[in-house]
Amino acid sequence: MTSFKQLFAFRSFRTRLVVFLLALLIPVLGGIFYYVNTNNTDYTEETINTYLALGADVFDYTRAQQASTLQSITSSLTWDYGFRTAFGANAPATLFDAALNVLERSLGSVDMLMIVDLESMVIIDTQLQGFDQLQGDWLTLVATADQSADGIANAIVTIDAHPFQLIALPLYLPRQVAWIIGGFALDSDFVGQVKETIRSEVSIVRVSGEGGRDNSARLEVIASTLSPSRQAMLGEQLRISGATVSGLQRIDFIDAEFTTLLRPLYGESTGPIQVLAVIQRSYDENNENVVQFEALLIRFYGVILVVSLLAVLLLGRSIANPLTRLAQVVRRIEAGDYQMQAAVTSQDELGALATSVNSMAVGLAEKEKVRDLLGKVVSHQIAEELLNNPVELGGEERMVTVLFSDIRGFTSFCEGLPPQQVLGELNRVLSTVSDIIEKHHGVVDKFQGDAVMALFGAPVQSENDAPNAMQAALEIIRALEKMDSSLGACVGINTGLVVAGNLGSSSRLNYSVIGDAVNLAARLESLTRLYNVPNIVSEESMQHAPQYAYREIDEVRVAGKRQSVKMFELMGRREELHAAQLEEIDRFQAALALYRQKNWKAANEEFSALQQACENKLLCQVFLDRIAFFEVNPPAADWQGVFTFDKK
Amino acid sequence: MLIHFLKPAIQVIGLALFFATASVAQTLQVSIIDSEGNPIADAVAELIVLQEAPQEALQVATQQNQAERTTTRIHDIDQIDKEFVPNVTAIAAGEQVSFPNSDDILHHVYSFSSARTFNIPLYGRGDSNDYAEQFPLTGVIEIGCNIHDWMLAYIYVGESDRVAISDQSGIALIQNISPGNYEYNVWHARAAGGEDSQLRSVDIIAGETTVQEVVLELARDRRIRRAPSANRQRYR
Repeated sequence: MTSFKQLFAFRSFRTRLVVFLLALLIPVLGGIFYYVNTNNTDYTEETINTYLALGADVFDYTRAQQASTLQSITSSLTWDYGFRTAFGANAPATLFDAALNVLERSLGSVDMLMIVDLESMVIIDTQLQGFDQLQGDWLTLVATADQSADGIANAIVTIDAHPFQLIALPLYLPRQVAWIIGGFALDSDFVGQVKETIRSEVSIVRVSGEGGRDNSARLEVIASTLSPSRQAMLGEQLRISGATVSGLQRIDFIDAEFTTLLRPLYGESTGPIQVLAVIQRSYDENNENVVQFEALLIRFYGVILVVSLLAVLLLGRSIANPLTRLAQVVRRIEAGDYQMQAAVTSQDELGALATSVNSMAVGLAEKEKVRDLLGKVVSHQIAEELLNNPVELGGEERMVTVLFSDIRGFTSFCEGLPPQQVLGELNRVLSTVSDIIEKHHGVVDKFQGDAVMALFGAPVQSENDAPNAMQAALEIIRALEKMDSSLGACVGINTGLVVAGNLGSSSRLNYSVIGDAVNLAARLESLTRLYNVPNIVSEESMQHAPQYAYREIDEVRVAGKRQSVKMFELMGRREELHAAQLEEIDRFQAALALYRQKNWKAANEEFSALQQACENKLLCQVFLDRIAFFEVNPPAADWQGVFTFDKK
Repeated sequence: MLIHFLKPAIQVIGLALFFATASVAQTLQVSIIDSEGNPIADAVAELIVLQEAPQEALQVATQQNQAERTTTRIHDIDQIDKEFVPNVTAIAAGEQVSFPNSDDILHHVYSFSSARTFNIPLYGRGDSNDYAEQFPLTGVIEIGCNIHDWMLAYIYVGESDRVAISDQSGIALIQNISPGNYEYNVWHARAAGGEDSQLRSVDIIAGETTVQEVVLELARDRRIRRAPSANRQRYR
């Protein structure tokens, strides 16, 4: 099955058409040829058979005619009173003369005469064969005549190697007193005469010995219109048996084939056939018209095939060439060349296809433009999400890490610059930030002035959303510091359940996230300035990225929220921190613990010490200020170190 | 004694009586049939007188008869409608046969038989009325017409006039026979064996009709058939 499929897996439309045409034409033409050929052959054979049967009939008729003439002449001899008187006078010499007279007057119808008495003794014999007593075939002839009702018998007897058609009749005087045997030679004159009439080759063959199926009997051609060489071939090839006598044979004369009909000359009885007429007609000669017609038919077929093939090739070209061109165009379009346009050359299906391809290219170009633009307006992942999924309002709950980033010192950085340049600088900075976020699989949700909101875990969720956000935050901070000493980044990170989806109206919408987790992240970002830290990470986010080191900064209750939140500063990857930094984290933690135990004095000492040692003196100052405030205005008894912001 | 004296007279009277009674009673009736029992007509039966039984009176009578016939008896074989009529004629040796022509055309009567070869060249009606052929030798003479090949007649020439031809019921009657032992011959044109092979012995008993049955094997009758066209009556 596979091989069959492979066999018909055409690589070219043209080949398919040609094979289809051939598969269609050849059986039809072959069938017609076979039908015509069979019918013509049948017709030829029928014609030959008719001719041969006619020939055999004419042969028989001629022979019968001759025999009849022979009988007439011979029997009229018995009427001759002189002949009767001579017979009655027992004068053989006179009879002999009378017989010779008859032969001369018969104009070749009678070639021999013999008179035999009723005891089979020869009285006269014009052939002078020299026997006195009949024997063999002669005796059989007379015995046959004697047995017949009218006393007449025919036979073919060879005299001096020539076959003679003989007839035996009684000589009445007035009752039978003798047999008169007359004969004519079945020689080349005779067969030539028959051939004149029937236009077929005529031979007379004699079978000596028992005729058998194995053709063991010897065949002797005794008279024939054939050439001597053909006579020899006839003798070799002719089959004589009961079946072949009634049927037809083909004799191959090397240069021509002859259809052959046998006709026994006498002896319709069951005895062995002895002499037969062979009527032959050239098969090729009769088949000549058929052969010519077939040659004509084959030439005609050739023309049909060539014209059809040309037509099919042209048709194939007219279909395959536009298709090939279209395929090239489609390949170019596939490669992204949407400006490619296929030439519409016809009004048919191919033209429609070319038009469709062009429309498709336009459509693809538009879609690509949209995708490109979308990728610029929204993040690449959101663009994909929007393009690949049905755009519907509504969303789903997701665990997302939200990152807020702001540029600190940008205003002073831009001071004195024209607005156009400010925008250029802002774009440069935001591009840097945005590149970093995307590099860590984050998605820029929106730009708001110099602030950026990014999502990790929406629309595509991964295992490392929080660590990715941490790494991005570290790199943003480092990048901005590197860009200009006056610039700095403020980053707030929180992780929590949000609703992610398309927000807005059905005609205009954003893919975004909403929820407390987002608000908290924004709040944390804004608190960075208060605590003078580059970033603040919520406890939730910290727990999701344990491979980083953090410094706990504070626990606060933001406005409008009952739940307090622990805030941490992301310091860097654990393995990258120095021992001094880790020690500072621990000392800050210890100081923070004292502060929470309301141990103002110790806390004050500790923060003061830290302030001396560490770089971030402002952070320590925040706590020193609070301690000073609480020492004057002690907090409530149940205070556990949570600082409440009353305003946003 | 009286008888002795009267012997010649008695002999004459007895002979007369004998003839009278014999003519009535002593008859040979030969019934001729073929092997299938069908009667054969136109067969000839001839009584042959044996030499060991000299019958003076019979001899005298026979001689008288012969002498009488040689001078008086002429048989006719007429030719009517191109046929010989009758077909078979039985005569005693020395008798004559004339061949009148009753047709309007000429006939040419001939015989090549060894017992008598003759031919009467073409003659017409009435031409041959006063001519008769004499047949002195015994035997069968086949008569033909040289013009009409199918015409065939047989003349059986016996030793004496004690010959008879069978009728349609196959019966041939030979009358006026003295009692005694005889041989008789039966001939038919188609009987196998020729003329002389049919000799049979018979005892003729005084005052009785002796019945003999003879079965003949008939050979196939091969002869020239009269062609239908020969029946045309154009020249009659």
